[in-house]
Amino acid sequence: MTAKGKAAVLKVWVLAVLVVVGAGFVVAAEEGPIKLGAVLPLADITGAQGSKAMQLAVAEINAAGGLLGRQVELIIIDDESKPEKGAAAIDLLATVHNVDVFIGGMSSGVHLGQLPALKKYEKVTVWIGAASSLVEQAVVGMDWYFHVHPWDYLQGASYVEGWAALQAEYPLIKIEKAFWAYEEGAFGTSSYNGSLVAFSNWENVGESFKSALLGGGDYRSVLRHAQEFDPDLFIWVGYAADALPIMEQAREIGFTPPLFVGSPPGWPADFGGSALANGVCAYGMWAPSIKNVSPVSEHFWDAYVAMFNEEPATYFAPLGYTNVYVVAEAIARAGTLEKEALITALEATSYVSPLGETLTFSPSNLIEHQGFSKQKILQWQNGAQQVLWPFEYATALPAYPFMGK
Amino acid sequence: MTLLRTVPQKRVALLLVSLGIVILMMLWKPYALIEGLQRGGLYALIALPMALILGIVGIINLAHGEFMMLGAYFAYWLGVYFGIDPLVAMIPALAAFAILGSMTYFVTIRRALKAPELNQLLLTFGLAMVGMEFANLMWTSQPLKPHLSYVYSSMALGKLRFGTYAFIYTAAAIVLLVLLLLFLRRTRLGRAALAVGQNPRGARLVGIDIQRTYLLIFGLSIALVGAIGAMFLTRHSVFPSAGSPFTMKSFCLIAMAGMGNLPGVVWGGFALGVAEALVLSFRGYGGWADVVFFAVLVAVIMGRSYRRQTA
Repeated sequence: MTAKGKAAVLKVWVLAVLVVVGAGFVVAAEEGPIKLGAVLPLADITGAQGSKAMQLAVAEINAAGGLLGRQVELIIIDDESKPEKGAAAIDLLATVHNVDVFIGGMSSGVHLGQLPALKKYEKVTVWIGAASSLVEQAVVGMDWYFHVHPWDYLQGASYVEGWAALQAEYPLIKIEKAFWAYEEGAFGTSSYNGSLVAFSNWENVGESFKSALLGGGDYRSVLRHAQEFDPDLFIWVGYAADALPIMEQAREIGFTPPLFVGSPPGWPADFGGSALANGVCAYGMWAPSIKNVSPVSEHFWDAYVAMFNEEPATYFAPLGYTNVYVVAEAIARAGTLEKEALITALEATSYVSPLGETLTFSPSNLIEHQGFSKQKILQWQNGAQQVLWPFEYATALPAYPFMGK
Repeated sequence: MTLLRTVPQKRVALLLVSLGIVILMMLWKPYALIEGLQRGGLYALIALPMALILGIVGIINLAHGEFMMLGAYFAYWLGVYFGIDPLVAMIPALAAFAILGSMTYFVTIRRALKAPELNQLLLTFGLAMVGMEFANLMWTSQPLKPHLSYVYSSMALGKLRFGTYAFIYTAAAIVLLVLLLLFLRRTRLGRAALAVGQNPRGARLVGIDIQRTYLLIFGLSIALVGAIGAMFLTRHSVFPSAGSPFTMKSFCLIAMAGMGNLPGVVWGGFALGVAEALVLSFRGYGGWADVVFFAVLVAVIMGRSYRRQTA
């Protein structure tokens, strides 16, 4: 054989080896797990329990045979509640782990920092957190983006609807004057400003306070001003660190408005254990008592407790569970991970969630794929959160007035 | 008259001015006075151990608030596992944090005593970060607080209803001040510590063991702030960054009072607490409380500087 001939044979062999090795990689890739990449704040109870609920859902799906004949792998990265860490997590999930779908989320601030990275990869994203309408404005036109949590203005509208419904159903409850105590940062201020618009038919007075999270923790002056105003409804917008001290200080000065509402992003895990919690109203997407009226919620509760030996205490737990199942069912419906097919399958979502409602995607003010549109009005009663409104998920009658005033 | 002759006129004037302010506020804004003395007591109480370290060891301990935060966690978990009330937990906290403080001194502070001040600051800042991240890893960022019914005890004088428990901080600040002054002025160890704080070289020449004194003062201060953390927990939630803001406030109080002036720290704490409470008593002006805090601080430091120039 001539040198030319030898070179040609060698080239054929090299090509054949490359084809075989390449095919091997393709086969391996196809047979590998379907990868879901989640980003959550793991030091916070929302992220910690949300990630556990996601693991529970993945375990259930894998135990039932996986998806498309493949196992599901969940990769969770901690964003440490920092935008730069959240953005780096997206890069890591896309480039190193090569995930198929992005899921997770909690803070709007973190998510705003993640959006440039998400736009770079344009993978299908199903996000359960980030309620700020600033996020909505930033994701306009992104057909691969699905948002599950109600936007802030949807939450505000649902509270207006809820309080109106409660007053109509229970004529004893009358709300004409409201006092808003809000933490002085962006979270409290924007909540208060939004509420002034939403509750324009009430006489509203507001005052800021320094949250314990930022070195405050003495609420007595604000509480005294509220006491002087004599509101029908008192609401504080702050953080979990404020929850118990604000109740103690209200009791200290003898402030007992007919409705005492707290609106932190998450409650301390043992808040219900305090005698002062009784009768305090709250906002949320879920309460453990929903398991008494929803079989899906009951299944979720039992499975979560069995797997982790702890009770889910935040609505981000059933939300995380919902997150995985919505994606899994869409993948099963699509029969492929191809992007366009997956988007179409997600658009057809109709998932009976452990939060009570059936999740579907429909347009919101600015985007095409918005999931839930309402929050619930809850109340702490005898150590547990009960649902007061919407009435279809109600688990208890309202305890009114607060402290039996 | 004998009393007036023995007490410096400046102090009598200060006392009379303070008394005047108290009477005026009792008539005008009684809540601001009561709550100001309570919150001021907390500021002073937390600042005293820091003042002790700064006055004698000569180090600004930026991890001061983090030691307090760890003390609060210590008390919280003693309550969870052994059912011990945080106020009782102050006793084991004193012992545990005396050991922690001594270990911290041996492992880190001792090696930085002769280093430039910036390095000492960086070292204690590093300790603060370690403390905060340790708490975050161990107990997450979730706030924890025991349920204690006595913290919302109150009393009514006519129409005036106010909380009584928070006076514990006011009382504790005064008691701690008295005990520290007695220790520093009446005991051999305390006098040695004062001598070291004033002139370490001279103290060494007269045979005082400098290292032992530094160790004692640092250990004592950390023990105190750990126990104060347990008391802090009764009315506040604890979370990893709960102590940081109090490091800043404590340092400002010390700067205002002047180095080594423990009574000044307590007076300053009350003054700033009442000033803050007065601002907060006007609806809608709560955001100005911090501004007032730092404005009073700047005014006092500038006033002192002016007096020195004119003296």
